[in-house]
Parts: sequence; C-alpha cells; structure tokens
Amino acid sequence: MKIGIVGAGQAACTLIAELIRGQFDGEIIVFNGESHSPYQRPPLSKSWLADPTETESLRLLPEPIERHHSIQWIQSQVKAIEPDHGVIVTNNVSYTVDHIVLATGTRAKKLSIDGLSSEKTHVIRTLDDVMSLNSALDGVANIAILGAGFLAFELASSLKHPTRTIRVLAKGIRALPQISVKAADRLLDATPASIRVGVTVERYDEDNAALITNHGPIPADLVIMAIGAEPNIELAHACGLAANEGIPTDAYMQTPHPRVSAIGEVSLHEQPHLNQRIRIESISEANDTASTLAKRLLGQPEPFHATPWFWSDQGDLKLQIAGLSARTDEETVLINSETECVVIRHQGDRVTAIEAVNAAKEFMAARRLFEQGTISLENLLNAGSVFSLLQSSRS
Amino acid sequence: MPQLTCIDPNDQAIDVTFEPGETVLQATYRAGVDGILAECGGGCSCATCHVVLNADWDGTLDAPSVQEADMLSFAIDPTPHSRLACQVQLIDKHDGLTLTVAKRQY
Repeated sequence: MKIGIVGAGQAACTLIAELIRGQFDGEIIVFNGESHSPYQRPPLSKSWLADPTETESLRLLPEPIERHHSIQWIQSQVKAIEPDHGVIVTNNVSYTVDHIVLATGTRAKKLSIDGLSSEKTHVIRTLDDVMSLNSALDGVANIAILGAGFLAFELASSLKHPTRTIRVLAKGIRALPQISVKAADRLLDATPASIRVGVTVERYDEDNAALITNHGPIPADLVIMAIGAEPNIELAHACGLAANEGIPTDAYMQTPHPRVSAIGEVSLHEQPHLNQRIRIESISEANDTASTLAKRLLGQPEPFHATPWFWSDQGDLKLQIAGLSARTDEETVLINSETECVVIRHQGDRVTAIEAVNAAKEFMAARRLFEQGTISLENLLNAGSVFSLLQSSRS
Repeated sequence: MPQLTCIDPNDQAIDVTFEPGETVLQATYRAGVDGILAECGGGCSCATCHVVLNADWDGTLDAPSVQEADMLSFAIDPTPHSRLACQVQLIDKHDGLTLTVAKRQY
C-alpha cells in the first residue's frame, strides 16, 4: 500500500511515526510545502522566539524515522489532486498512491490595513514567519499585536524587552475571551503588554508610524496579526469534498471520498467530549486524529475518543486546560491561592473544561477524569480539588 | 562528543551522543530512542517523556521544579529518580551516564 500525505506538520509527523513504529509495510510519500524539515510549532511563539537557537532544537521527527527507507520526502507544494485515481500533482510531477491523507493544517488570518506595508506586517505560524519577525526587531520601539488570544500574549511575553513597548489591541470587549475571566485575570496581571479593548483599526499612518484607530493613533513600528487561523481546504475542494469550516470526516478520519482521509486541525469531526462536530486547533487534536488514522491504516481501527487539552506559556505562568468550553459556559472558581488558580467551566452540572494556572496536578487529574467520563460540578466542588476527586474515584 | 546510555522499554541499551546545553529529550528524541513520546514537544505539559536516572546522576542536577514534580506525579510508576526528559539540561559532566526510559508513558 502506498500512502500520500499532504502536509508535514504535527499531525502528518505523528501519523508517520506511528506507522513506522507499527511496522507499516507499505510506502509513504510526504509532501512538505515548506523549505524546512518538519519542526515543532508550539515553541515558535514561546521559548524559541524569546531565545532563538539553531532550528535543530525544533526537530519534530526522530532521525531514524525521518530517514526511514519507506518514506519519500517531496519538498514541494501540492498543486492538484485527482482522488478517483489516487494522483497527487506537484509543480511538474504526478505521483500515484492508494490512499491520500490531507494534513494541510491552517494558515494565519491576515487583515489588510490601508497604508500598512507588507514589511511591517507579521503573522506567526511558520518558522519562516518567526525568522522574518526576528530579523525585523532591530531598533523597534513599538510593537502592536492585533488580536487578544493566547498567541498575542505568548508573543508579548516572548518579545518583552526594556526598550520596547508592546500593545495588544483587541477588537472585542475583553482579552483572552476563550478562558474564564478569573484565569484570564491571572495571566493579564503578569503580561508585559498594555491592553486596549474595543479597538477598530482604520488605517496605518506611515509618516508617524502609527495605527489610526477609533481610540486615536497607536504607535506601531511593526504590526503582528494574531487574529486566528483558517483551515487550508482548497485541496479538499479539488478532491470534490464539500469543506467549509474544515474537512469533514467520520470517527476514523475517513472523508466521504473512500481514497481520502483528513487529520489534524483541518479535520472536522464529531468530538465525543462535546457531542458536537467542531474543528479544534490544538496539539492534542493533531496527535489524536493522527493516531486514530494510524490504527485504521495498520488494520486495528478504533474510533476517535480523545479529550482535547491545551497549554500556553507566558513568562513564568503556565496555563493548562483540560477539555474544551464554549465562551458562554459558566465559570466557578475552585482554587485561587497566591500561587495557583483553577477555574471550572461548566454547563449546569456538567463540567466542560478545567483551566489551571500554575496548577499542573489539577490539570493532569482533570485529563484523567475526563478520560473516565463526565465530571459533575457538584462532586468536584464537594471534593475541593480535581486531584481529590480523582483519588476518590479510584478508591 | 559526550554520550549517554539509554535503556529503552525493550531493555535495549542505546548510546546517544549529545551537545552540552541540550535537554535529554532533544538528545534521545533525535536518536529515536523508543518509548519517549513527548506529545507537547518539550513544554513540560504532558508527562510523556518520563525517564529514570540512575544514581550516578546524583548531585549533577537541580531538583525538579514544582511544575515538573506535579507532572511527574501523574507519570506511570514514578520513582524518586524520575524526571521529565524535557526538563533535564545536559552538561559535560553527564558524559557516560545511564538512564532508563519508562516502560509506559500513559
């Protein structure tokens, strides 16, 4: 069996590693549209941006796997796919495979701002993006970050410097709207950035190096757009798949086309944790969907059943989230001490997520409990901590 | 180059070279030592790079941070010599030492 994987990010690499470790006896062709060997993305906005060393430290695949004889690496963008015949076309070559895996991921959204040159506009998604930002930082005194999610505040922490002023500009009414007000407060108290909410950007004033906004001019020698990502679904359309929010799959990562599967954050499938079809951007989604597909391709299919988890590093603070909540979910504070903060997100009695700031034990206990099933708010509050509830569930 | 000996979950001994300054995770991961998953890529967020250092490491490392110790308490069968490979920074002094990769990461 010959498998063609389009993309070489986290999901693609987890799939490759699990196939090789699982003694897959076919061939794998990987189409890597970037000019770097597979690398890890999470550190790009965190430790690596704060202290960029050689790119080797970002290595995503072990050397023996990357160089495995069953893998052929094609450093080229895929231009077209003919799924009925299993054909994948790059610039000038066609490859024929038995099964096609779309692991095309997402790309950073970009806002077009009148007067703002492309040299002053940055996004953070790829290694090239970060290298380009790094090379533009010399002498920069004012950085404006558009967007107020995890990425914006990770960037603010990593770019902190005595000679720089970093401003986070939120379009909405609050920063970090993905998480509870309480957990957000803990992170925002420590951010080196100054925050403005309700900001609408009108244009960029090149002469004064400032963004002109509904709050007046805001100094910006460069502008980083951290306003979210959108799925790369063009190749799915080329396969004749109806993809909009993401590429639809069943619980085994199979798309409606029998020769095509989709994994990673581009895939859209039922999330058992939420009883909802939703596209999730997280490393757990990349790893767990890849793992589900690997099992199927190795002849031991098991449906996707993972609970998502997330983390964000901002200076000395580490936010870890087990589960996934909607923005409208209620919040109840479980622990709020000098050092730790743990907030429960819930819909009535059903806990949807645990947000833990510098509380790794609570986060890990929550992951274990979600693996066992649903968590009841009442039981959790009676137990006093996620860890205690886990222990009582085991005794 | 300095090197470590890593005992993988199949009890195979593998010699892994390292650059001082890199972490145990970076060195063992590059070499493809079996059994180290590192789902979060070295962010001290998943406890799937659990290794056990032998006694020769004593006195060469700072104690684990609270965060690492908390994550380790959720590893499978942690011991007093357990560490997360992503949090152990290697120095010249570690040349020739041995560690064992946990049998299971979850």
